[in-house]
Amino acid sequence: MQRTRATTPTSPSSRPFPISEPIHPEPIPEQEESKPEAKPSRWKYWPRLEPAEWDILIASTCLKLLLFPAYRSTDFEVHRNWLAITHSLPISQWYHDTTSEWTLDYPPFFAYFEKLLSVPAYLIDSRIVDLNNLNYDAWSVVAYQRTTVILTELVMGVALLRFTRGAADTSTQKIISASLFLHPGFLIVDHIHFQYNGFMFGILLWSILMARNDNKLASGFLFAVLLNFKHIYMYLAPAYFIYLLRSFCLSPSGALLPMRFVSLANAVIAVFLVSLGPFLLMGQLPQLLARLFPFTRGLNHAYWAPNVWALVTAADRVLLQFVKGGRIQSMAVNASGVASTSRGLVGDTVFAVLPNVKPIHTFVITIAFQTIYLVKLWRAPTYKSFLTALTLCGYTSFMFGWHVHEKAILLVLVPLSLLAAENHAYFRTFMIASVAGIFSLFPLLFTPAETLVKVVYSVIWAIFVFAPLHRRVYEFPRSLPFVIIDSVEKLYLAGFPLLQLFVTLFPIATQHSASMEFLPLLLTSVYCAVGLVWAFARLSVIYLKQQY
Amino acid sequence: MHRHGCKQWVAPCALLAALWVRWAIGLGSYSGQDTPPMFGDYEAQRHWMELTIHLPPRQWYTYDLQYWGLDYPPLTAYVSWLCGIVGAWIDPSWFALDASRGIESEGSKVYLRSTVLFFDALVYLPALWLFVRTWLADRSARTQESAFLLLLFQPSLLLIDFGHFQYNSVMLVGFTLLALNFFETGRDLLGASCFVLSLGFKQMALYFAPAIGSYLLGKCLYLGPAQGTRLFLRLAIVTTLSVLLLFLPFLPPFAPLPTILDPITRIFPFARGLFEDKVANFWCASDVLLKWRRRLSAPALMRLSTLLTALGFLPGAAGLIYGGWRMRIVGVAEESQKPAPTLALLPYALLTSSMSFFLFSFQVHEKTILLPLLPLTLLLSGASAGEGSETFELGMLVSNVAVFSMWPLLKRDGLGVPYIALTLLWNRLAGYNPFRACPNSMLQYVSLLVHAASLGLHVLELLFSPPARYPDLFPVLNVLLSTPVFALTWLWSIRRGMQVGWALGGPSSRTKDSKPAAATEKSARHDDKIQGGHAQAGMRMTSLGYAQGRRRHVPRNGRSASISSAVSGTSQGGFERS
Repeated sequence: MQRTRATTPTSPSSRPFPISEPIHPEPIPEQEESKPEAKPSRWKYWPRLEPAEWDILIASTCLKLLLFPAYRSTDFEVHRNWLAITHSLPISQWYHDTTSEWTLDYPPFFAYFEKLLSVPAYLIDSRIVDLNNLNYDAWSVVAYQRTTVILTELVMGVALLRFTRGAADTSTQKIISASLFLHPGFLIVDHIHFQYNGFMFGILLWSILMARNDNKLASGFLFAVLLNFKHIYMYLAPAYFIYLLRSFCLSPSGALLPMRFVSLANAVIAVFLVSLGPFLLMGQLPQLLARLFPFTRGLNHAYWAPNVWALVTAADRVLLQFVKGGRIQSMAVNASGVASTSRGLVGDTVFAVLPNVKPIHTFVITIAFQTIYLVKLWRAPTYKSFLTALTLCGYTSFMFGWHVHEKAILLVLVPLSLLAAENHAYFRTFMIASVAGIFSLFPLLFTPAETLVKVVYSVIWAIFVFAPLHRRVYEFPRSLPFVIIDSVEKLYLAGFPLLQLFVTLFPIATQHSASMEFLPLLLTSVYCAVGLVWAFARLSVIYLKQQY
Repeated sequence: MHRHGCKQWVAPCALLAALWVRWAIGLGSYSGQDTPPMFGDYEAQRHWMELTIHLPPRQWYTYDLQYWGLDYPPLTAYVSWLCGIVGAWIDPSWFALDASRGIESEGSKVYLRSTVLFFDALVYLPALWLFVRTWLADRSARTQESAFLLLLFQPSLLLIDFGHFQYNSVMLVGFTLLALNFFETGRDLLGASCFVLSLGFKQMALYFAPAIGSYLLGKCLYLGPAQGTRLFLRLAIVTTLSVLLLFLPFLPPFAPLPTILDPITRIFPFARGLFEDKVANFWCASDVLLKWRRRLSAPALMRLSTLLTALGFLPGAAGLIYGGWRMRIVGVAEESQKPAPTLALLPYALLTSSMSFFLFSFQVHEKTILLPLLPLTLLLSGASAGEGSETFELGMLVSNVAVFSMWPLLKRDGLGVPYIALTLLWNRLAGYNPFRACPNSMLQYVSLLVHAASLGLHVLELLFSPPARYPDLFPVLNVLLSTPVFALTWLWSIRRGMQVGWALGGPSSRTKDSKPAAATEKSARHDDKIQGGHAQAGMRMTSLGYAQGRRRHVPRNGRSASISSAVSGTSQGGFERS
C-alpha cells in the first residue's frame, strides 16, 4: 500500500480514493478495512485504531496494570540503578561507576534512554535517582518503572499495527500482530521479571517492517539503532548484513550499486558515531567494550537455557551416573566435573565425562551453521527468505552460543511468529518452539503467587493464537513418516501439562529433603531443549528445501 | 472469536481470564496490610480460621472479642474451619492459636488468596453460568456469552473480594444467585435453602430477604389455596430445618441452650450506632446538614431507620405479593414446577429492597453496595449490548458510581491501580463511554455530569491535600455525589417494578396457551415499544430483556461484537458491519 502510494506524485489529500485502484491489478486489502467515512489520506500517516484494536490495547494495559505489585527480579534494581547513574553522574562516569554491583553494561543508546527516563523520575520522586539509595522499592519507583515499560512497549504496538496495514493477508496478520503484542514472553520478562524487551523488539519489528515495505535503508538504519540499544541483537546481525548487501547494495545481476552502498554505510556509521562518539572522544571505548562483553562466564547460565548444551550437560550427568555405577569402565572421569554441574550453579561448567567445551568451539559451530543459511539467503534474497534466515541466525546463536540466557529465546520467537501462518510446516514449528520457549521462561518466576499468572495467561494466549491459525493452515500429513512425526510432536506437546504438574507438586512432595531440589529445573530445561532443538532442525530443513 | 470458528472456546477462555484477573488482583495489597496492631479484614478472616480450628464451637463467638471476634453467622465459621484445617496441614504456623496474629508471610497470603479464588470458582462462577443459561435461555449464544463476560468482571466485587479480601462472592452473589436460578427452574425448596445458606454465611443477605420472602409468598398465593398451602408448608419446614442445621452445634444436644445467644448477639450488633465510616447512604449524606445524632437519641434513630427501611422495600415486596395474588390460578398440577409469573419482578424487587436497606438501615458499610449491585448487574447483563437503553445506561452509571463510592476504602487498602484498571476494563467490556460526543437523553446528561464530577474529584484529590479544618473533605464529597445516584436507582427500581408488574398483569395475563403469546412476544421484541407485553411466556424478556426491545441495530463501530473479543486478543469482531 505504502509503496504504491509513494510512487504517485499527487498530494494524498487531493487524490480521490477510487482513482488509485485501477492502477493496481490486485485488490488493496486496506480498503475493505478502512472506515468509509475516514479520509484515506489521514490514516495512512497516523494509523487509526479499529475497535478490536482498542479492545486489545485497553484490555492488555489493564492486565499489565494489575501486575504492578507482582514479583520483581533484580533487573528492576538494575534499571533503577541505571536511572540513578545516568541522572546523577556525568557521561564520562557512566561506564566507570561501581557504586552498585549492577553496573551499566548496555550500549550507549540504552544509557541515553535511561537518562531520558530519569528526568520524569526525578520529578516524581527524587529518591529514585539517588545513586546511593540502593534497593529502593517504594511504590513510587515501582509504579514509575512499570509504567515506563507499558508506555515504551507501545513502540512495538505501533510497529505491529503497521504490519497489519498493507499485509497480504490482513486478517491473519492481525492474529499474528495481536499474538506478538500479547506474547506471554513479554508479560513474563517485561511486566513481571522487568526488562524493556517490548520496546526493543518494537524497534526490531519496525526494522523488519521497513524491509517488508522495501525501504531497506531505513531497515538497516533501525537495526543499527537497535544494536546500540542492546548488543544481544548481534545474534541477528549476519542475516541483516547479507540481506542488505545482496538485495540493497547489489543489483540483481550482482553489480555493486555504489550510491546505495555509500548511503547505507553512512547511515550505519552515523548511528554508531552518535552512540559511541562521546566515548571514543573520551578514550573510553576499551572500558565500554569490557563492560559490554564480559568473557568470564561459564557455558551454561544458572538455569540451563534450553539449548544443545543443556542436552549435552544432561547427557554428561547421565553418563557420570553410569560410570559411577561401574557399568562403563573405559571412560576417565574428570574429578572437578563431578562437583561442577550437579546443581547448575553459576560458574564454569566442567564436564565430568564428555570433553569440555570452550568459547571458541561454540563460536565456530555457530558461525558454521549460520553460514549455511546465509548462503541460501544470498541466493534468494527475498523478504520471506530474509525473515526465515533472520530467525535461524538468532536460533543458531541460541542453540550453540556461549552462556546463553533463557530470555534470549524471544529473539527466536518474535521473528518466527511473523512466519507462523506461511503454511502448516511453519505453523507447527512455530507452535512447538513457542510452547517450549515460553515454558522455558517459567522458571524466571519462581514465586508461588506468580505461578498461576504465568500458566493461565500462557494457556489463554495459546488458545487464542493456535486455534485460529491452525484452522487456517491445517494440512493432513501425507505419508507414514509424517504421520509418525505428527503424532510424536503431539505427544511431546501433551507432555507439558504433566511437566507443569510435576514442577508444581514436586517441591511440596519433597519438602524435607533438599537433595533433589534442582530436579524440576533440570527436567524443564531438558524437556524444553528437546522441543527447541527439534523445532530448530525443522525450521532449518524447511528453509533449505523451500523454493523462493 | 466467532468469526474465527473458535466458538467453543469463548466460555472456557472467559472463565480462565476471569480467574487470571482475580488472581492478579490478589498480587496486590489487602486490607490492613502492614498496619499493626489490628490490621484489617484480611486478618479478621485469618483469625477466624485460627480460632475455629483450635476451639470448640461454643467458644467461637466468645473468644477474645476485642481482637476480631467472630461476628458472622455459623456458615462462615464452618468455612473458616475448613480453610484453617487445610492451611494448618500445609503449614501449622499460619494458624497457630494467638501466636499467628498478624502473620503476613508470603505463603500465608498466597494460601488465603487461593481460598477466596477456590470458593469463588466453586460457588459463584457456576452460579453465574447457570444464571446465563437459565434466565437468558431464550437469548442468542452470543448475548449469553457477552452477558457472562460482563458478570464475570464486575469490578466492585472483584476489588473487594480479591483485593480488600472478603468472601462476598460466596455469600451474596453466590448463594443468592443460586437461589434465583433455582426459582427460575421452579425448584423453590432448593432455592429457599440456598438463600438460607446465604443468610447463614453473612447476615447482610437479609437485605434480600424481603424480596425473596415476598416472591415465595406471592407464589404460594398464585398457586391457589390447595397447592399454595402445600408449598408454603414445605417451604416453612425446609427453611426451618436449614436454619436448625446451620446452628446445630450451638443447640441443646451439643451445647447448653444459652449458647445460642452468643452468635445471635454477635451477628446483630444493634449497639454500634447509626453509621461509622463515611458511607454513601441517606443517613451519612444528610448528616452533613442535619446532624442526626445531636437531634435524636440512639433508640429513636434506630426506630426511624427501621421504619424508613421498611417503607423503602415495601413497594417491591408488595408488588410481588399482590402480583401473585392477582394472577392466582386454581389447581393446575404442574404449575408448582414452574416459576411464578412474578419472577420477572424479582430482580427489581431485590434491587428495591437491598437499596432501601443500603440507604436507610443501621450500620451500613460502604462495601454493602455490593448487594444492590447484584440484581442491578443481572439486569444490566440482560440489557448489555443495547446502546441507548435505560437499563444499560443506568446500570453502567450505578456500577461505576458504586466502585467510585468505595474509593476511600480502596485507597486505604492500596488498591488504586487495580481500581483504575478494572473500572476501565469493565466499561470497555460493556462498550460504555459516558463521554460520548452527544448525549441524547436526560439520563445520559446525568451520567455525563456524574462521571465528570467524579473524575474531577479524583483529580482534585490528587493535586490538593484537604484543608486542615475538613480532613474528611474528599470522602464527604464522594458521599454527596454517590448518594443521589443510589437514591435515584432506588426510585427507578420501584418505578420499573411497577411498570413490569403492570405489563404482567395486563389483560391477557390469564391466557394459558403460551404459544401464540410467545410468538407475539417474540415479534414485539423487534418493535420499538413493548409496553404491555403479553404473557408469562415472555416474562423473562420483559424483565431482563425489556431494554432489548429497542433491539440494537448493530452499532457501526462494532461495540457489541467487540465485547466477546476484548479478551480474545485475536478477534476482529469489530469489523462486523451490516
